[in-house]
Amino acid sequence: MALTRTAPDRARGARARPPGSGRPGWRRRRDAVGLVFALPALALFAAFAIYPMLRVFQLSLYDYNLTSAPVWVGLDNFRFLFGDERFLASLGASLFYVVVTYGPAVLLALVLALGLNTRMRGSAFVRLLYFAPVATSWVAVSVIWRLVLQPEGLLNQTLNTDIPWLTSSTWAKWAIAIAAVWKEVGFFLIIFLAGLQNIPKDLQEAAALDGAGSLRRLRYVTLPLLKPITVVVLVMAVIRGFQSFSPQVVLTGGSFGTEVINLFVYKTAFASARMGRASAVAVLMFVLLLVVTFVQLRALRRSA
Amino acid sequence: MSVRARARAVLIPAAAVLAVAAACGSDGGSTGGGDTIELTYWTHTHPPMTELNEQLIAEYEEANPNVDITYETIPNNDFGTKMLTSLSNGSGPDIINMDDSALRGEYIPKELLAPIDPAAFGVESAEELEALYVDGTLDGAKGDDGTLYGVPSEFNATAFAINTQHFADAGLDPASPPETWDDVSEYGQQLVAAGHEGFNFVYLHSGWYTQQLQTLLNETGGSILNEDGTGSALTEPESVEALQIWHDLIREDQVGNADTASREATSPFEDFASGRRSMTMIYPWAVEQIAQDNPDTFENLAVVPLPQVDPANPSGRWYGYYFAVNKASEQQEEAWKFIEYMTSQHERWLTDVNFVQPLQGWEQSEAAANIPFLDVWSQAYQQGKFDEVGPHWSEVQDAIKAAVERSVFDGQPPAESLEEASESVDQSVSS
Repeated sequence: MALTRTAPDRARGARARPPGSGRPGWRRRRDAVGLVFALPALALFAAFAIYPMLRVFQLSLYDYNLTSAPVWVGLDNFRFLFGDERFLASLGASLFYVVVTYGPAVLLALVLALGLNTRMRGSAFVRLLYFAPVATSWVAVSVIWRLVLQPEGLLNQTLNTDIPWLTSSTWAKWAIAIAAVWKEVGFFLIIFLAGLQNIPKDLQEAAALDGAGSLRRLRYVTLPLLKPITVVVLVMAVIRGFQSFSPQVVLTGGSFGTEVINLFVYKTAFASARMGRASAVAVLMFVLLLVVTFVQLRALRRSA
Repeated sequence: MSVRARARAVLIPAAAVLAVAAACGSDGGSTGGGDTIELTYWTHTHPPMTELNEQLIAEYEEANPNVDITYETIPNNDFGTKMLTSLSNGSGPDIINMDDSALRGEYIPKELLAPIDPAAFGVESAEELEALYVDGTLDGAKGDDGTLYGVPSEFNATAFAINTQHFADAGLDPASPPETWDDVSEYGQQLVAAGHEGFNFVYLHSGWYTQQLQTLLNETGGSILNEDGTGSALTEPESVEALQIWHDLIREDQVGNADTASREATSPFEDFASGRRSMTMIYPWAVEQIAQDNPDTFENLAVVPLPQVDPANPSGRWYGYYFAVNKASEQQEEAWKFIEYMTSQHERWLTDVNFVQPLQGWEQSEAAANIPFLDVWSQAYQQGKFDEVGPHWSEVQDAIKAAVERSVFDGQPPAESLEEASESVDQSVSS
């Protein structure tokens, strides 16, 4: 209790310092040295992250084909996109991918994390197995899955089916989602496990002493305490989903209804040399993700 | 230690390291003497061609010790995108080897290439250079104003390949190859019954889809764009007929399975070379690749004329790859000299990799005499024409690829599928 009193006192004391007295000289010098060390990293970040982002915003208002000077077109690129079936189809493909991949992946990761959050022989090895696909590059994973998904591949042989997984508008988007669930589960599993291990054991024990069964403990203790982690996981899931590019390139080349938004941007920018229009898509996606993330955070905070 | 002393202890050695690194860097950038001419040269990936390119580059460097050529092959699926982007931002290679559709559709209109330098070829003018080649074969590297931007590294006509052993297996006579697409269907079904894949198209990137549809369009009288190039002509009956042929062969007559077709862009004729497929459209350069990939199939290979919709009025398709020079290159003169050397070796291109560089009289050359099926190729070169191109051609190609996929893989009727493609094409060429 003494600790909880002195901390605010100390804080109040700091705020009560007379104006103009400032920080001690040694601290200012230390901060200055710190700033000098941080400058190269900040400069790189500004040059390779902030500047390109601002440039994308600017380019979205121009017609620019890389070879001639940009021409100001105002909001024409945005107007075009709202009526462009290919853009709307790619937006739909991305939404499908986000929902069908990351819904099951997050749910499965949570279930597996609950199962693996026990001390038993070999659990570390099992966790490693789940995490292995995460550590593998998307391109390598896609090449493996291309073999699995071939007409005479492992999946059809196992299911005893003859499904054209990668060459059909009906199946290709599901095929990519299956591969993506396999790849992404481990990522969220590790995050959930970390969250579960931070939940104090005494709360679970207290609930058990009060007569709560395992399901009630899960519902009233574990899941509420896991909510901050769940929020992070869901926000990351949506962002990762909309950033998808490699599996679509390697598995289908964007054919059969799998041209996701990033692939559309890539083709518009570099195959068609319509940099302004591609930038407009990037801006729209930035705004969309910002709004979705904001809505997610608000909704989850309200339900807390 | 005080903060100042600690900062000094870290910053001074760091500055010293930076200074040393900067000093080393300034020296390391030297090319040694300043007389070395560095050229960069990019091509797509085609193993037989790569090998010959490397040999010719080594010979040229030996004969010109002051020239250092960096040769890069780019994976076929990325070639167009990487080349266009790099040329557009001024960082591309000095020398490129690119297909005529890309040259006429993108590079020449965007002014990315340097006009040809006749002096490097020992002639006075582009007209004089053009006179050295078979009529019309340099049109693939010309701008709308007639300016010439390149010379052919390979010039291709379209023919048809059959596996004679498969024909024998099916009780067919290889001496009577299919003359029409109806024959292809009939023969194909017999070949399927004999345990082979009768016939199929090649399903790689959008350029391949477009060039095969263009071959059929040339025969049916259809086209991708209308006459003035301002909109789509894909819904015209002749254009629909072209896709209908493709659709019917694969989906209705089932002479081949599109789902199981190879998608290895480095080896487009893998299914034929491996002995799985019995018939395929073919180009001169593919013969050498089949010979290298599978000598057994090569032994049973026969090249015959391309089947026709109307054999009385045969039609074909030309396409070429052309050596050209980046307009942003600082070594244009040397680049053209190197290209002149490459084209002066036209007999080796023909002998070693079956690349035809269509200089006048090439068919009468000693090298041509040893080319298998020369009579078929000669005939194919008489009846071809270059593909159409238009603004934003890569988007048009994407629309065509999607139309073929909807029709051939998903079973959508060709007329409906081309209706959708037509809207996309209209939008691409008009915006």
